[in-house]
Amino acid sequence: MITSEPSTRARVFAAIAEITEREPSGVSGSARLREDLGMDSLGSLELLSTISEELRVDLEMEDAIEIVTVDDACAFVERHLSEGERHAHRV
Amino acid sequence: MRTGCSGAPHDDAGVVRLLVTEVRRFMKSIDSSALDREARLPKDVLDRAASLGLFALAIPADHGGLGLSLDTACRVVDAIATVDRSLAITIGLHAGLGTRGLIELGRASLRDTWLPRMARGACIGAFAATETGAGSDLAAMRTVLRKTADGLVLDGEKAFVTNGGFAGLFTVLASSPSLGAERGHTLVCVPADAPGVSIGREEQKLGIRASSTVTVRFDGVHVPEDHLLGEPGRGMQHAQGILAWGRTIMAAGCVGTARAALSATIAHVTSRRQSGRAIGAFGATREHVVSMAARLLAMDALTHDAAGRDCTTIEGVALTAKVFCSEGAFAICDRAVQLHGALGFLEPIGIARMLRDCRVTRIFEGANDVLLVRLGASRVASREPFARGVASECRTVASRLDSAADFLRSRYGVTAVRRQTMLQGIARAEVAVAAAQATLSGPSASREPSLASFAVEELLAHAERHLDAIAFAEEREERVASLSDRLYGSMPARTPSGHVAVSP
Repeated sequence: MITSEPSTRARVFAAIAEITEREPSGVSGSARLREDLGMDSLGSLELLSTISEELRVDLEMEDAIEIVTVDDACAFVERHLSEGERHAHRV
Repeated sequence: MRTGCSGAPHDDAGVVRLLVTEVRRFMKSIDSSALDREARLPKDVLDRAASLGLFALAIPADHGGLGLSLDTACRVVDAIATVDRSLAITIGLHAGLGTRGLIELGRASLRDTWLPRMARGACIGAFAATETGAGSDLAAMRTVLRKTADGLVLDGEKAFVTNGGFAGLFTVLASSPSLGAERGHTLVCVPADAPGVSIGREEQKLGIRASSTVTVRFDGVHVPEDHLLGEPGRGMQHAQGILAWGRTIMAAGCVGTARAALSATIAHVTSRRQSGRAIGAFGATREHVVSMAARLLAMDALTHDAAGRDCTTIEGVALTAKVFCSEGAFAICDRAVQLHGALGFLEPIGIARMLRDCRVTRIFEGANDVLLVRLGASRVASREPFARGVASECRTVASRLDSAADFLRSRYGVTAVRRQTMLQGIARAEVAVAAAQATLSGPSASREPSLASFAVEELLAHAERHLDAIAFAEEREERVASLSDRLYGSMPARTPSGHVAVSP
C-alpha cells in the first residue's frame, strides 16, 4: 500500500493537471476543486469521473460530493485502492 | 434601496396594464420587416422606447427607474416581442444581464453614476462573457483582469456581445487569477468609452438582425476598484444570479414570439379555404393549432413562475423556463410556417422572420444541450427527491424521474455525469414536469381549464416518453459512440479538458 501511494497520488495530480490545463507541479494538494480550480459543481464531478475511470476505482456519487480538495480526492482513491488490494489478498 | 431577485415584490395592476397598453400602442408604429431588412434599430425607435420608460423597467425608482418587478418586465418584453424580437432582445438584455449586476452587486457610487443614465436610455447596458474559444467552457476563458502596480487592468476579447454596438456600459466576466481564488473569475463594469475598449463590426445573423451583436476588445483597460461587481473571485457565482434574470426575460420574449405566431396562424387557418372549407376545420390542422396553444399556455405559466421566484429558487426555474420556452417558441413558429404553407416561407408574411428570430434563443445565455446536461447532472447528484412538493397530478411521473436518477447513481456512480444523453433525458422529463406544475398552479388553469388540462396531459406524456427511453439509453449510447467514431475517422480517447464546463 505504501509503495503504491506516491504513484496513485501522482496519477491523481496528473489527471487534475490535464483537465485544468496546467503542469502537475502547479496543482496544490490543498486546492479546492470548486473555489481554487475554477470548476462549477458539474465540472468537479466530471473531474472526479475522469479520475474514477483512469484509476479504475468506483466512486459513488455520494462520496464524490464529499470530496472538496485535491488531497481529499487522493486520499479517497488511495483508501479505495488499498481496500481493493486487501480484499484481493483475502480472496 | 436594492431590490430582491425578482425586483419589486408587487406592482400595481393598473400601472402594469397601462404600461403594457402603451407598449402595444408604441409597437404598432414599428415596422419589423423594415428593421430586419435594414439590420439595425434606428435612433428614433430607441429614443421613443426610452421616452416610454422601456430602459427604466427594473431599475430602482431611487435611481430614476420604474422599479418594476421581474414579472412586469417580462410582460413588457413579451408585448414587445409579439411585434419585434430585435427590440425585445435589446430592451430585455438591458433590463436583465445589462443592468442587473450593477443593481445587485455594484457599489453605491457606481450605481449613482450609471443607473440614472441607464434608466433614461442614455446609456444602454451589455453583458460580455462569451469568447470564441470559450463558449460553454469557461475554464478556457482568456480575458483576464490583473492586479498591477497601476491598479486593475483588463485584457482580452469578448464575442457575440448583444447590444455591444451601442452600449455605454459593459458588465464583463473575466478570469482573475490575482484576485480572490487562483482560478476565480470576477465581474466588472467597463464604460464603452474607456481607453483600450474597441468595438468590432456588427455580425451578420440568421435572425434578430436589427439587434446589435459585436466583438469587443479590451486592451490594457484600466478599471477603477469601485467598478468591481460583488466579490472578486466569485464572478461565476454572481453571473449565475444575473443569468437567472436574463433567462427569465428571454423566456418571456419567446412567449411573445410564440403568441404572435399562434395568432397569425389562427387568422390564416380560419380564412384560408380548401375544398370548400377553412383549413382550420381539418383534423390535422386542429392538431397543430391546439398543440401550439397548449404549449404556449405552459410556456407563459412557467415564465410567470420563474419571474415570481426569489433569489433562493429562481436559478433552477429560470434555466427550466429558458430551455422550455426557447424550444417551444421554435416549435410553435415551425408549425406556423407549416400551416401557412408556401406563404410561410415568404419573408413579407412575417412568419419566416419569427422562426429565424427565435432560433438563437436555444443557443445563447447557455446552449440548451449544455443546460440540459447540467440540469440532469444536478438531479442525479441531488439528495432531494424531485417528487417532494410536486402537485398530485404530477407525482407519479416525478417519482419515476427520481427512480431514473437513482438508477443512474447506483449503476454508474460519479461517472453518471458522463452519460450525457441519459442526463438530458432526465432533464427533459424534469422540464416537462416543471411546466406541467406551473400550468396547474398558474392563472390559466382557471381561465382556460380545458386547454390547461390538455397541456398538462401532453407534458406528462412527454416526460414519460423520455423516462421510458432511459431503459434503452445505455445500448443506444454505445451504438451512437461507435457510429460517430467511424464518422469522425479517428478520435482522441477523450477531449483535452475532459470535463463539461458550463457558461452563460
